[in-house]
Amino acid sequence: MAGDTVLRLRGVRKSFGAFTALAGIDLEITDGEFLTIVGPSGSGKTTLIRLLVGMEEPSAGEIHLRDRLINKVPANERPTCMVFQSLALFPHRTVGENIEFPMKLKGVSPDRRRERALELLALLHLPEAYYGKRVQACSGGEQQRVALARALAFDPEILFFDEPLSALDYRLRKVLEKELKDLHRRTGKTFVYITHSLEEAMVMSDRIAIMRGGAIVQVGTAEQIYTAPANAFVAEFMGEVNLFPVTGGDDGRLLCGDLEIRGHDERLRLASGGQGQLMVRPEFVRFLAPGEEADCRLQGRLANVFSLGSRLQYEIEAEGPRGERRLVTVEKLREERFAGAPNGPVTLGWRLADAHLIREA
Amino acid sequence: MDRTEERQGLLSALPVALVLAAIFLAPLLVVALFAFMPPGSFGLAHAPTLENFRLFFAQGYYSSLLWSLGMAAAATIVLFLVCYPLAYGMAKVFRSFTLVITLLVVMSLFVSENIRLFGWVLTLMKGGLLSGYLKAWTGLEMDSALYSVPVIVFGLVYSYLPFMLFPLAQGIAMVPEDVRLAASDLGASRTRILWEIDLPLAMPGIVVGSLLSFVLSAGAMAESKLLGGQTVVVMADEIESAFTYGQNWPLGSALAVILILIIGLLATVALAKVDLDGIMGRRR
Amino acid sequence: MKHAPLTRAALLVYGILVLVVLYVPVAAIAFASFSKARYLSFPIRRYTTEWYERAFDSSTVPELVSTSLKVAFAVAVISVVIGFFGALAFARYRWRFRGLFQKLVLLPIFFPQAVLGLAILMWFNALGIVPTWQTAIVAHLTWIAPIATLIIAIRAYGFDPALEEAARDLGAGTWQVLREVTLPLLWPGIVSAGLFAFLLSWGNFPLSLFTTGADSTLPEWLYAKMVSGYSPLVPSVGVMTVLVSIVLIAGGFAFVWGSRRRRG
Repeated sequence: MAGDTVLRLRGVRKSFGAFTALAGIDLEITDGEFLTIVGPSGSGKTTLIRLLVGMEEPSAGEIHLRDRLINKVPANERPTCMVFQSLALFPHRTVGENIEFPMKLKGVSPDRRRERALELLALLHLPEAYYGKRVQACSGGEQQRVALARALAFDPEILFFDEPLSALDYRLRKVLEKELKDLHRRTGKTFVYITHSLEEAMVMSDRIAIMRGGAIVQVGTAEQIYTAPANAFVAEFMGEVNLFPVTGGDDGRLLCGDLEIRGHDERLRLASGGQGQLMVRPEFVRFLAPGEEADCRLQGRLANVFSLGSRLQYEIEAEGPRGERRLVTVEKLREERFAGAPNGPVTLGWRLADAHLIREA
Repeated sequence: MDRTEERQGLLSALPVALVLAAIFLAPLLVVALFAFMPPGSFGLAHAPTLENFRLFFAQGYYSSLLWSLGMAAAATIVLFLVCYPLAYGMAKVFRSFTLVITLLVVMSLFVSENIRLFGWVLTLMKGGLLSGYLKAWTGLEMDSALYSVPVIVFGLVYSYLPFMLFPLAQGIAMVPEDVRLAASDLGASRTRILWEIDLPLAMPGIVVGSLLSFVLSAGAMAESKLLGGQTVVVMADEIESAFTYGQNWPLGSALAVILILIIGLLATVALAKVDLDGIMGRRR
Repeated sequence: MKHAPLTRAALLVYGILVLVVLYVPVAAIAFASFSKARYLSFPIRRYTTEWYERAFDSSTVPELVSTSLKVAFAVAVISVVIGFFGALAFARYRWRFRGLFQKLVLLPIFFPQAVLGLAILMWFNALGIVPTWQTAIVAHLTWIAPIATLIIAIRAYGFDPALEEAARDLGAGTWQVLREVTLPLLWPGIVSAGLFAFLLSWGNFPLSLFTTGADSTLPEWLYAKMVSGYSPLVPSVGVMTVLVSIVLIAGGFAFVWGSRRRRG
């Protein structure tokens, strides 16, 4: 039933000899959601997915599918299906035969199989004529869809995706991202997707799980993780960000060597003597007019301007308390472009309400 | 899962492993045991002795061994020199011709070795293909090229050419083209590229090819018998004689053990240095 | 890397030269098989096909052919079956003793065949088995099964493991994976291995010599004749042996060509 937990992981670890690929994963996946697991290469995402699909066994911990413990259940007995990075379409079989493969194994009659295969071709916007086509004769995007159709033909409870779009060019990827999202909506199945591309994750998912070094660092919606990252790694992973080291003052206020901080926000309370990082995203930083007030203020010099298409990115050089150089990034939409002179002095400011505090553990 | 693969690996290996254990390892064990039996005896029910090994030195069998190893070494070197240009061509220069060469060479392998060597006898003998037509066309007389050591080495080179050619071609093919281009771009001459890049990077292929050629030549018998007559008696020949004419199984076994040990030692040392999976193109 | 046209031409000429030398003895035998003279000498004065006729009519040759055929066929079938599984164990599965297994499979190939033949003969003797053409099958397998394994293994190496994993993921059990995915994909390798196995057994002499006992294969008979004194039958029978090989190889090619065509 949608909303229930369909997959639960507790303390899942996986080691290969002396190498620990997964170090204690706890995760709950909701029925019908689109969860994307993102992380840099080597973070353990592929290992995690292989554990969930049944191609490896966890070294420790438990994986429950609804109420059933599935640690030792092999891949061919799990109601899950994976779309491989290489697609793994059977080259010696036609499109139709590939799609019908799981049904054939389940003993579905040839007529019913063909019917279902044609339905799936239609669902994935492939012409009926492709039924007898050789797999190698299909384009990259078409092969993607055949792989999807085959996985759906299995009628799994959970569909896993191992970076399926990483080999495609930008335009095709954009098209397929939308189609995948649409497919998710239409089938109502649980999708677990792994990728190293943040953009893909943000476009398609209900929730995102960030992985690093074999552990899950944060789970939440794109909005949650973007505005309130759990640590500096996540903050930087999610996009351009400005971080300033702060310490807690006697009354819980923030002290920062680089900035003038006025005012106080309860969200940003820090214990006396505690360490943290004040985070503000580039789009919330304003260029202040002379004499203009702001909760946080910073003086600097306009060093660089970059054009990013629809946005402009400004790089400001500021001096830290001990004379070290800091780079602060500001982003503005084209219509808000800043007209300051290059290398000229600027004052930046933002509201505490737009900032976030990352507390050091 | 990992355990499924373990089980599948073990089960799949079983047929071949059992067959080899029964008809390769077991016979070798018997030979090894027989080597320590008194000379001329026929069963295994005697007290072990080193008499056969003493005879190896005392009765001059070591000269056969040296001939075998020496000619094998000569053949291997000649084979390397002869095959390298061809292997290079196959790996880097020719396109469809590579397939033609491969096919023709492989097909020649299917003609029984004896038949091909006999063909050389017919070609090189007095009144044979070479001397006959030479006389008919130019009036020059030519002595038989047979029954000498060089012709035996030639026979070895001929018989084992595919075993040097294909591994060598494979090894050279493994030298990444962009590394060679980079070296050239940095100013290296053709010779330098050959010496510093081609040879070291093709080493697995060179090692395998040389090993195969040497080992097969060292154990060969037909070349020296058919082409060499009685000029030189090689080790394999001595072993056979000991078994058949000499009716001396222990001696034959001991000689076989010595030959096998030397070949085995070489093979193990060389193979240990070579990444087998890499040569054969493993993906994972 | 571009090579100067002179280099290319030189290499091409060299290649052709090597191939010619490779086939000179085959040509010599072919010529000799048509010579009328009882004692061979070149150039051949008179040509005849009588030796071929004699070979067909003789009592020994057809029997030799039959023995060689039986042995080669059995060796081919057996090596391919065990070689298929052996190749998977060699190249595909990760298992504990894989390294050891690889070395075991490679060892017989490096072995002097005459010595191996003798060793097997002694072994049979110790077991009280009398050598016949059936024992020759077993002896051939020692050398030929590893070769079949290697040929299929080469193909197995280039095999995307994700395909088998995908089949499992889609619900296939172990045997189903083997039948639906592994076997069809390795099929070309299996056919090559079978062909190789047949031909290597057909032409094999050293192993046959010691292990066929009273029976005899073609190569054995040919050798005996070669060393005991020239008989004009030798070249003609030799050529016939080669022809069989050629026919088989051509047949193998036609099969591969045809199946590739059919797959569209």
